[in-house]
Amino acid sequence: MLFHRIADSARYASKLFFMNGMALLSILTQGEIRAESASRDDLIRLAEQIDREIEASVEHHLMAPVLSDAAYLRRVTLDLAGRIPSVSELKRYEALDTQDKKYETTKQLIESPDFAYHQRNELDTLLLRALTNDRNWREYLLETTRNNTPWDVMFRQIMTPEISLPEDTRPTAFLKHRLRDLDKLANDSSVIWFGVNIGCAKCHDHPLVDDWRQEHYYGIASFFKRTYQTKKGMIGERFDGHLRFDTTEGETKDAAFMYLTGLSIPEPQLDLEEATLKEYQEKIKKAEQEDSADTPPQPSFQPRSELVKLALGDETQNFFAKNIVNRIWARLFGRGIVHPLDQIHSGNPASHPELLNLLTAEFIKKQYDLRSLIHAITLSNTYARSLPTNDGSKDNQTPVESDPQDHEEFEEAESKFGHAVPRPLSPHQLSLSLLIATDHPEKLKEKIETNWEQSRGQLEERSEHLAQKTEIPGENFQTPVSEALWFSNSGEMQNQYLSTDSNHLVGYLKEIESDSEVISNAFAAILGRPPIQEERDTLSQYLSSRSGDRTETIQQIAWVLLCSPEFRFNH
Amino acid sequence: MEHHHRSDTLDRRSMMRLVGSASGIGYAANMNQINAFAQDALNDQLRASGKRVILLWLAGGASQLETWDPKPGRPTGGPFAQIQTSIPGIGISELMPKMSTRLGETAIIRSLNTKIADHGTAYELMDKGRVNEAGVDFPHLGAILARELGNIESKVPDYVSMYTSTEGRRKGSAGFLGGRYNPMFLTDAMMPENIQRLEAITDTDHRDRAELLDQLSKIYARHHSHPSFEGHHSAYGRVRGLMASDYLFDIERESETVRNQYGPTQFGQQCLVARRLVEAGVPFVKVARAWWDSHGQNFETHQELCADLDHCMSTLLDDLKDRGLLESTLVISLGEFGRTPSINGSLGRDHFASAWSCTLSGCGIQGGTVHGKTDQDGNTVVEGEMNAGDLYATIFAALGIDHTKEYMLGSRPIPIADFDSTPCYPILT
Amino acid sequence: MNFSTLKVTNEWPGQEIIFCLAVDPNRQRLWFGCSDASVYYLPLNEEKAERVNLSGDGHSSYVTGAVLAGQKLITSGYDKKLVWWDTESGQQIKTITAHDSWIRRIALTPDHRVISVGDDMQCRVWDAENGENLGSFTDHEKMTPHHYPSMLYALDLSSDGSCIATGDRVGHIAIWNAQTLEKTAELETPEMYTWDPKQRRHSIGGIRSLAFSPDKTKLAVGGMGKVGNIDHLDGPSRIEVFDINSGERIQMMENSKNKGLVEQMQWSPDGKQLLSVGGNHKGFISVHEVETGEQSHIVEHSGHIHAFSTDFENQVMITAAHQRLARWSFQIEDPQPQETKSLTHGDEETDNS
Repeated sequence: MLFHRIADSARYASKLFFMNGMALLSILTQGEIRAESASRDDLIRLAEQIDREIEASVEHHLMAPVLSDAAYLRRVTLDLAGRIPSVSELKRYEALDTQDKKYETTKQLIESPDFAYHQRNELDTLLLRALTNDRNWREYLLETTRNNTPWDVMFRQIMTPEISLPEDTRPTAFLKHRLRDLDKLANDSSVIWFGVNIGCAKCHDHPLVDDWRQEHYYGIASFFKRTYQTKKGMIGERFDGHLRFDTTEGETKDAAFMYLTGLSIPEPQLDLEEATLKEYQEKIKKAEQEDSADTPPQPSFQPRSELVKLALGDETQNFFAKNIVNRIWARLFGRGIVHPLDQIHSGNPASHPELLNLLTAEFIKKQYDLRSLIHAITLSNTYARSLPTNDGSKDNQTPVESDPQDHEEFEEAESKFGHAVPRPLSPHQLSLSLLIATDHPEKLKEKIETNWEQSRGQLEERSEHLAQKTEIPGENFQTPVSEALWFSNSGEMQNQYLSTDSNHLVGYLKEIESDSEVISNAFAAILGRPPIQEERDTLSQYLSSRSGDRTETIQQIAWVLLCSPEFRFNH
Repeated sequence: MEHHHRSDTLDRRSMMRLVGSASGIGYAANMNQINAFAQDALNDQLRASGKRVILLWLAGGASQLETWDPKPGRPTGGPFAQIQTSIPGIGISELMPKMSTRLGETAIIRSLNTKIADHGTAYELMDKGRVNEAGVDFPHLGAILARELGNIESKVPDYVSMYTSTEGRRKGSAGFLGGRYNPMFLTDAMMPENIQRLEAITDTDHRDRAELLDQLSKIYARHHSHPSFEGHHSAYGRVRGLMASDYLFDIERESETVRNQYGPTQFGQQCLVARRLVEAGVPFVKVARAWWDSHGQNFETHQELCADLDHCMSTLLDDLKDRGLLESTLVISLGEFGRTPSINGSLGRDHFASAWSCTLSGCGIQGGTVHGKTDQDGNTVVEGEMNAGDLYATIFAALGIDHTKEYMLGSRPIPIADFDSTPCYPILT
Repeated sequence: MNFSTLKVTNEWPGQEIIFCLAVDPNRQRLWFGCSDASVYYLPLNEEKAERVNLSGDGHSSYVTGAVLAGQKLITSGYDKKLVWWDTESGQQIKTITAHDSWIRRIALTPDHRVISVGDDMQCRVWDAENGENLGSFTDHEKMTPHHYPSMLYALDLSSDGSCIATGDRVGHIAIWNAQTLEKTAELETPEMYTWDPKQRRHSIGGIRSLAFSPDKTKLAVGGMGKVGNIDHLDGPSRIEVFDINSGERIQMMENSKNKGLVEQMQWSPDGKQLLSVGGNHKGFISVHEVETGEQSHIVEHSGHIHAFSTDFENQVMITAAHQRLARWSFQIEDPQPQETKSLTHGDEETDNS
């Protein structure tokens, strides 16, 4: 219970801070605010609850089987470590003969340096909706993921950085990147933290969603209206600033500081002499313009803090917690329990409302602990279900093109999580997996087993270049042709990833005499599975038919596997 | 507002069914655009007619007063004279002498009022035809037209964008249409990245391994099929075709006479590439000509840049016409905004979006026309005001695309031209 | 000389941009040319002087040059024209189309010949009385190395009228014998031209002003140094001084506090100081000690200054700027010995921009 108490005291400290404006929080370093790890039994119990809910909703015959060991490890390593597993990791997993092998392996992955990097990259993409080069921000995020900082604490630090971490400009990026555009700041905040897109309610009440009215839009925007940035790079709030809006009826209204639940916060009378106010405003102006200016005064009424309080105090709809639970679910299943992810409202019911409520309640109970949530989900059978399989008799047969009845059932099963859907790798997942797959398997094994912490850091650095060039998959991801061209014709692909030197996969494979072994090893390193007979035959034929340099032939084979859809997706 | 209507019944499942029934489209197409599929017959017709677009993007904001809407003799007019054009009663700036004799296929729009005058937001507006809405990732013009005019199986690229200057460089994206319609983006070189085979691998090997990939992908697909895998397969399927189109970017293959006609500037060379591309069937090519942001020395800047624009644009129009391509190719000259009528202390003009100009030439355009009017000093639009949505509706209409056509984003219909926009019929054939 | 007392004594704000001015030898009468294509007369001697628009068709674009030849005023403009005016009647006398492109500057020789430069890259000589063309010559490329039209902005005459200097956009200067019209020397100031090959792909800058020293051994060249962001006149103002005989650059004065173009320069009669005006959005008057290169005085002005005229004897300066005309006074601490040459006839009358 020790962790629990520390977490509590941190919450207490931050509350105190809100009250008297002193930097009490700084006596507790960020690293000490960490969520309590959930016990094994808790996690497994939750995983079983997930399975019960899902199994109750999908007809048994539509439920896909659970993955093989190798396929599960590939999926879960991509989801927890942000990369494919190495050959040695696969072998070890397959050889494990304990009841608890899933739990132990996932626990190890979650506690590995890999997880912190991966979770950082995922949160960066979620929060900034782009791959940024903002090193400070990414360093801050890495700290939170290493420390497993609870999601509510991160929310507070990111949304009220000047109060939560007054000496630290790193978490300001979320606000800073959107400061020039109040609409973006308001809507992005609402979409990202609460799963609610209010953009459509700006000019009129939301035309499709009864829940969202103009006052919600301007209500949320009001919380950001006073936010500014100092020259030094900190965020601040002014003492005044109100939004007004015109309704479609032509009426002009004052916006309230109103949260999505409809609850609004009245602003207390500003208790300042006019001269003092003017002086403060001057100081703020100065701080906006000059590097050397003093830290400007903070008003006692701080709208963003109020928004944070309202969001965390919302015990009826739980937008804040529900949103991240739904987003984590979608990350692991390719689809949210509420879908689309920014449409949490009464007109768009969850596919499994009880499950969402249950996960949300557990998440709050576990102190907004993202790791436990992710861990529990990956332990479920639901998570481990395979893609729908064809019978293999017809070329390119898709469920959609088959009988409409089947198709409808297929769709039903997919939206109810009866089977998995392929998920495109994120830029970092792709880049890292390419590095892992093309590394010399023996040398990689040694790195993983000796000083992985350090090697993983270097790997992360090396992955940046390609990651920056790779498209962040959106809702309707299609592999861009520019990527196919890069894989096909870039010097980096040919000379680095497919290098024939002794540090790379091709260099390793070329030393193996048996063609059959070459094929098996290439499959293991790149796709994490043995080839089926047909694949083996096709490649053997290629190997034997091709005259010329054997090393080049091996390069081609490695290239083919790296360009396969199987490599490009998590499935 | 009435343009939103509930279409909850159009859920993903029914879309999938439609996808399945639209034979020949395949999975690379976006699953969410149900209406696009519903209108497939019409689209095929359009594709058959082979319509093309070249967008001359005047990045940074060219001055309407030094191009299409001069105000000679007014305090705002600047030093340049107006010259008479081939259209009776219509004058343009003396900086555009070649264009003045070639307005037969061109319509000038002098009445854009787009309100937004900062580069970033205005670029988004003019490249998407609507104000950005937080949370909705609208496709850019090139992606919409690549989708509407292109052929999904096309061997040539369907959206090529050239932007060599770094200032204001923005790639443009396919937004919710998906990566299939992202531009082939040229920045440093005249040749797209990774479109040519490395010397380290022979052409035979390159082809063989692509075939091997195709074989293995098919084996995999027999066991696991999914639209995402199909999309991946189709992207690789386009590689060899695109590589075979590398010659389109090589202007050395043009005669010296033609190259000399386009002239020595990079803009001229890129216009020549654009002509080669549309000739080969590329539906959308953007040639960005940066950077017109003349806060200081507006007149000198326009003496340089207009000379380039006037020469390259007129050469391009002549060349397209000579080759019989202008009837099916729409050439647009447009930037993110115009420039202030008032002249600042540095003899510059600043950002201005309230009353500015653009041109449309060729396909579907009633040439020799001028639409709209600004006041005598050019401060406001007094006749025929158009916004970005209206311009887009006009562009679509010129190409024979129904501007009210909708894409479905989840349950939300999104018309390809912004809500309430109207094509400018008088300049359309 | 000490310019610390330089201050505005009269100001005439307006809507136009004033590009050039000419003052009569008695400093009583002023003519100036503007962006409204008009030439105005201003009686400086009157208490509440008001400008008078000279009558006639005159110019149809910006008026960029004005010289006084006896009773005649000759102006030039971007309309490619030279226009003759009668200063007594205020009537237009004569108009000729003198260039194929904008005329940037004109000057008057002591023997009453008008010299003009324009963007057709020609330097031309005219009889100030009858407008007859007496010659055309150039040493300036029509196109910049980057395939854009070049511009021939700058012109100066030595005070005795024997030498002509011309300077263009890319920083090339030619010096000519004013009688034979033969080129006698060339100088280069490539720093005055900024070509941006990567970000914006066009250029800015050019030589905007030239000034022979009173003994015509030196030539000052004014413009703007290298610019980072060529959207704005954001570069340092820049002056280079050359020894004409050796062709060597003997001084370079660049000031990043006074940004923008050096539009016009004038040497002090003793040849020690160089006065310059110009600016970006704002204007400046700057004084440099040529020997040391030190900037001994600087005054900021609310408008970019396109032209000026300084009367050292009477310690008066007149500036023509963006939307304002101003008269300044200054004091000379050490009265100049009588033998120091005051402004010559030619200098006074070739005030232009």
